[in-house]
Amino acid sequence: MKWRHVFPKTTGWGTVSVFLVTLLILPTIFLMVRVFQPASENWKHIREFMLKDYMVDTLTIAFWTGVFSVAVGTTLAWLVSAYQFPFRKTLKWALLMPLAIPPYIGAYTYHGMLSYTGVIQRTLRDTFQLDLHQKYFDIMHIPGAVFIFTIFLYPYVYAITRAFFASQATSLIENARILGSGSLRTFFKVVLPVSRAAIVAGVSLVVLEVLNDYGVVSYFGIQTFSTAIFQTWFSFGDLDAAIKLAGILMGIVILVLIIEKWLRGRRKFSYSTTKVKPLKPTELYGWKKAVAVGYAGIIFILGFLLPVIQLSYWAVLTFDQIFTKAFVSYIWNSTFTAGVSAVMVVVVAILVANYTRMARGIVPAVTARLTVLGYSIPGAVVAVGVIGFFIFLDEQIKKILAAAGASPALMLSTSIFMLLFAYVIRFMAIGYNSIESGFEKVGMKFTEASRTLGMSWTETFFRVDLKMIRPAIFSGFILVFVDILKELPLTLILRPFNFETLSTMAYRYANDEMIQESALASIFIVMVSGIAMYIFHILIEKEPN
Amino acid sequence: MYVNISDLCFDYPGTKQKTVADFFLHMQEGEVISILGESGSGKSTILRLIAGLEQPCKGTIKVGEKVFCGAGGAFLPVEKRGLGMVFQDYALFPHMTVEANITFGLKRWKRSERKARLEEMLGLISMEEYKRRYPYELSGGQQQRIALARALAPKPSLLLLDEPFSNLDAHLQQRIRDELRETIKKTGTTTIFVTHDQEDARVLADRIVMVKGGTIQQVGKACEVLKETVTKQRVPVEA
Repeated sequence: MKWRHVFPKTTGWGTVSVFLVTLLILPTIFLMVRVFQPASENWKHIREFMLKDYMVDTLTIAFWTGVFSVAVGTTLAWLVSAYQFPFRKTLKWALLMPLAIPPYIGAYTYHGMLSYTGVIQRTLRDTFQLDLHQKYFDIMHIPGAVFIFTIFLYPYVYAITRAFFASQATSLIENARILGSGSLRTFFKVVLPVSRAAIVAGVSLVVLEVLNDYGVVSYFGIQTFSTAIFQTWFSFGDLDAAIKLAGILMGIVILVLIIEKWLRGRRKFSYSTTKVKPLKPTELYGWKKAVAVGYAGIIFILGFLLPVIQLSYWAVLTFDQIFTKAFVSYIWNSTFTAGVSAVMVVVVAILVANYTRMARGIVPAVTARLTVLGYSIPGAVVAVGVIGFFIFLDEQIKKILAAAGASPALMLSTSIFMLLFAYVIRFMAIGYNSIESGFEKVGMKFTEASRTLGMSWTETFFRVDLKMIRPAIFSGFILVFVDILKELPLTLILRPFNFETLSTMAYRYANDEMIQESALASIFIVMVSGIAMYIFHILIEKEPN
Repeated sequence: MYVNISDLCFDYPGTKQKTVADFFLHMQEGEVISILGESGSGKSTILRLIAGLEQPCKGTIKVGEKVFCGAGGAFLPVEKRGLGMVFQDYALFPHMTVEANITFGLKRWKRSERKARLEEMLGLISMEEYKRRYPYELSGGQQQRIALARALAPKPSLLLLDEPFSNLDAHLQQRIRDELRETIKKTGTTTIFVTHDQEDARVLADRIVMVKGGTIQQVGKACEVLKETVTKQRVPVEA
């Protein structure tokens, strides 16, 4: 092995990138090291009496959400790709919109709608004189959580599978049709098997989101790893036990990623032809048309329209009471933290992505892999790692200052910097993927042309590369900004004292059974996410294949 | 000799076989050399090694008085080599006008010199009236001429051309080829160009280097190398 194959020369870009990525993975390393420390009394109690429940509940929710998301996501993707029916064009993007609603907001909204004084029971009582037993309207249990996760997260499967149908599967589907295969047979015998890699990619995102969630399960009172980590930290103040729980949750994540890799296998399905033609949809008639519109329509209504109408109604009702100076400060806190973190993510992503594309070798390849690691780590795990790491840093700073005879003026572990740092770790992958794909689209030819004309890497970066990847930078920034705006578990654990954002405020109100009061913050988050998603849909549709 | 390349070797990480092995080349100033070979023969890699876009594992490259790479791992970065290169798909910067593209490599020139050089280059390729246009407003042939003007503008010590005609329609190829030869000869620039097309090599090159599997098969004048190839190719057919 030659040294130039391990760590190629790239002026300062390599050094800066390796330093930044090391900084980002330090909390994870810290967590891994601390996992194996001797157990505390709390941990012994958790392991003996509660660990099994955490494991069963977490895996049950993740498994069933995965199953239902595949069922809903793939059937909808197939429907809008292969068939022509009324409102198809609108539904094509509308079916993505549930992603704009964070599941925790969906959970409060559904609970509010289904409660005794909610719109559904009131309508049944007042209009139809039906007074049914409360158990029929209770969704605060595991099946209810599975419903909430499925209806708001299935778009991951839908989006990836539909993109696959549009770009790759056309000739195979057309061949199946020519060979006399009917709709159902084509779907089960051709479409599902060839789309396996895409479906697995989508469902693994869904499962990772479920493992990351704290808002839904804590609101529904379900014991999962996320809620357990929160309780252990906030109620017992036991960082070591929280770290052990985080370690096990991380183990589950690694298992999910291994299963994903195994399920995908070698089936990457990249074809020798680069000619991409869209699938020509078949016109549906009669009852089939009605079923198609009804099915896609109901999912859109349940996953987006109904919650948004309900939230808007509540927001109007409580607007005067909630829209105060304090609320404006929550908007500012949310946009400030999301904006600053998104800028940091984009800057680091640009530095690392430019380094990994300019240099071939082991170090650049490993750097690229480590950069995207954070997104698969659940928020609660990142939070515990970051807290542990910052407390450790504070202790070191204290020691150094004490030796110098001074007392520390600022503790890192109580500052906003800790939250921003955690956001950067958690959402780096989103910014990085966007910028990396921007670089990939542009390729190396312009960079090389500039260098042969006498420009250094850095001059080339500012005069050529940066200008050419502007759309990717914009996309990366917006995606990260919106995700941070919606984020809950990291923010709850790591925010400084008395620091509220829109998401923590929505959570706090909902937890205090003031669901209507939580609506204004929720609708603000949903609107910003929805607009961003719609813009992306337009941009992607405009892009040539 | 003006260009001296000897014992040049290159391999990609993770591959056992060398992409370029023991390549050598000696050129006089003003000479035009064609590296001819099939796809995958390593000819483009040789060009990238000379340009400094790849780092060789062994060998020396010297142009004029400058040592590009040599003993003890000495390696001159691409931007310091003072070369001109025309890429296969031209790589004109899409966000810059023709004027900005051509003057891109003249950053250390005085403003007045830069302007004069721009006019000179536009005159050389007969495209004076196109300087405010963007690359996407030009035809394939025009883009190729701008790419050549951009490469020649900084007065490079060596001009490198990577499959310069592969993106052009067949009916355009001959005309552009003649123009290119005329421009290169007019400026007297030492040139190495890579092609898989024997006709390109025959028309443009003073000498041809035939490569296969990253090693030199033959070197000589076009009439010697190509005649022999044709004869060799015919043997099995006639047999």
